[in-house]
Amino acid sequence: MNKSSKAVSDSAFHKFIYKPEFSTLIILIVMLIITAILQKNFFETKSIVRNINAFTPLILLTMGQAVVIISGGLDLSAGTTLSLLTCVLTFVMKKGEPVTGFYAIIIAFAVAVLVGVINGIGIGYLRVPPLIATFATSFIWLGAALFLRPTPGGESVEWFKMFYNIDGVKNAPQFLKTFGTIVPPGLILVILGCVFWFVISKTKTGRYIYAVGSNNDSAYVSGINTAKIQMTACIINSLFVFLAALFFVGQNQSGDARMGGPLILKAIAATVVGGIALTGGKGSVYFALVGALILSFVSKIIFFSNVPNAYQTLVSGLIVIIAIAGTQVYAPYNKRAMINERQII
Amino acid sequence: MNRVIISQNNIAYRIYDRYKKLIIALLLIIFLFVFGEVTVSNFLSLGQILLTVKLASFIALFGLCQMIVIASGGSGLDLSVGYTATMTAVFTASIMNGENGNLWMAVLIAISLGITVGLVNGLLTSYVKLPPLVVTLAMANILQGVIDVYTAGRNITGRPSPILRIIAAKSTGIFPNILFILIIVATIVMIILYKTKWGAVLFGVGANETTAYLSGINVKLVRCTAFIITGVLASLMGLLLIGNMGIAFKDMGSNYVMPSIAAAVVGGVPLMGGGGNYIGVILGAIFLQTLTNLLVALGWGDAGKWLGFGILLFILLIVYVRNRRSI
Repeated sequence: MNKSSKAVSDSAFHKFIYKPEFSTLIILIVMLIITAILQKNFFETKSIVRNINAFTPLILLTMGQAVVIISGGLDLSAGTTLSLLTCVLTFVMKKGEPVTGFYAIIIAFAVAVLVGVINGIGIGYLRVPPLIATFATSFIWLGAALFLRPTPGGESVEWFKMFYNIDGVKNAPQFLKTFGTIVPPGLILVILGCVFWFVISKTKTGRYIYAVGSNNDSAYVSGINTAKIQMTACIINSLFVFLAALFFVGQNQSGDARMGGPLILKAIAATVVGGIALTGGKGSVYFALVGALILSFVSKIIFFSNVPNAYQTLVSGLIVIIAIAGTQVYAPYNKRAMINERQII
Repeated sequence: MNRVIISQNNIAYRIYDRYKKLIIALLLIIFLFVFGEVTVSNFLSLGQILLTVKLASFIALFGLCQMIVIASGGSGLDLSVGYTATMTAVFTASIMNGENGNLWMAVLIAISLGITVGLVNGLLTSYVKLPPLVVTLAMANILQGVIDVYTAGRNITGRPSPILRIIAAKSTGIFPNILFILIIVATIVMIILYKTKWGAVLFGVGANETTAYLSGINVKLVRCTAFIITGVLASLMGLLLIGNMGIAFKDMGSNYVMPSIAAAVVGGVPLMGGGGNYIGVILGAIFLQTLTNLLVALGWGDAGKWLGFGILLFILLIVYVRNRRSI
């Protein structure tokens, strides 16, 4: 009794140190310093913009994945959803007609919601285990994407470049161009995602997502419509993927049915590195962002340490498995943090 | 009189209940062949059926790897089987170099590679308690990386030994030789799984790990062993694949991952673990291969194949593998 009350009375700083978030932040800072040392012009505007552009897709995918994992699921189909959306976007758009861009965005948005609904029905209402359900649906999206675009390619309207680089759009207003040089569009998309999640997390739905993830049965007994909440989480994930798809098409001006597949593993790993438990109900979506940053810096460091190109897949795969295993092994050693957490609640 | 009828009904019903999923798989195959014969001409011929069975044998053998992992429970699945096979094929191609004398060396390498991959998978899933799908997905990535590194800047040379060619690609009379391998493997697997202690332990661990633990079974070790066996089988499959194709190339095995899981699900292996009938997996593999043939004949190609597999797997998952709420 005495001991436990002492633990509670520890200063806020102590509590923070023993939280898993603290170690995540420390790792991020270390990675940042190493990258800054290796990359000579790290603090120049140009390379900062380039870094942000390189990191954006993974960050968006990771945040979406984090929402699903917190709700007690896991989405293996996010990568192929991304491919499908780029294919849909480039399938609808015609190069000469700017107005087709709007149609494309509306249709892709509808497809994204549909993907979320189908995943959600499988996971939530029909209660198929999330991993295997989304494994199955990932092949549906892959097949659909291949139908639209058997080989990489396609066309895009010119103003779509604004999702990647506003300067690239010829007849954009001057103030937008100036704005784009200060805040790169990739960053705007990430901020949009953060605001989106901030609003959701302040509503009942946001609380319910945590409740359903930490104990589905208790949430159900408490009168929460767990199936609906799980479906909502899947739809939120799809919308994050939709933002990433906008960025991709803006960058490449084309669609590719096989592009998204490899990203999914990185997104899951980044979520775990960001301190989100794969069992659900724990962690913060913003720290998933930090996890994505850490993994991105790691691949940057690999790039700078002159590892031959062929080793890239191998090294990134190794890092992913070490990161996931490391977080899992580290968790029991973090008991003090867990005890503190329990007393706070 | 009345009671006799009831008991007879009971037996019939019990047989139906026990082999329900096998019967469904068989009906699906027949339906596909009839549908194919109606829509595409010359779909239902002996040559076509034998070709289907030959190609399905490879899926069925990969499905065996999957079934062992799934049966051991813990929501196990192995997404790295195809990549293990590719790695073995690529590594052993130059060692065999088209000579029978080097085959034992290739088999040794295949077994050791399989043990290594399976051991890592098993340790990470059962002892570090990571989700099997995530671990094996990462393992697939790593193996692809190893293959990339090995093949970077050089051609994959070497041919399989003639014995492997005979086993995997040639036919005796009209029957493909791989079919005999499949029958032998199926017999051995059925005996091991249903007639030995190890089979009972494997299914026991899958059905209820707490009960198995309290009965004095080392649950973690059994699951780890299941992964190792799967790794070795997948690795040996690499030898059969190179025997069938005649050469090794970079993604020869990765296309088998999804069908192997689908075959297990179609064949009625419960994904929660603790059960499964290998005959069902073989029927599932034949069904998938027939579906692929039909889609190719209809001119839908790769897109149609993956779309069809995905929708089929999703529907079957909904029908077979629904969680029940515990309260």
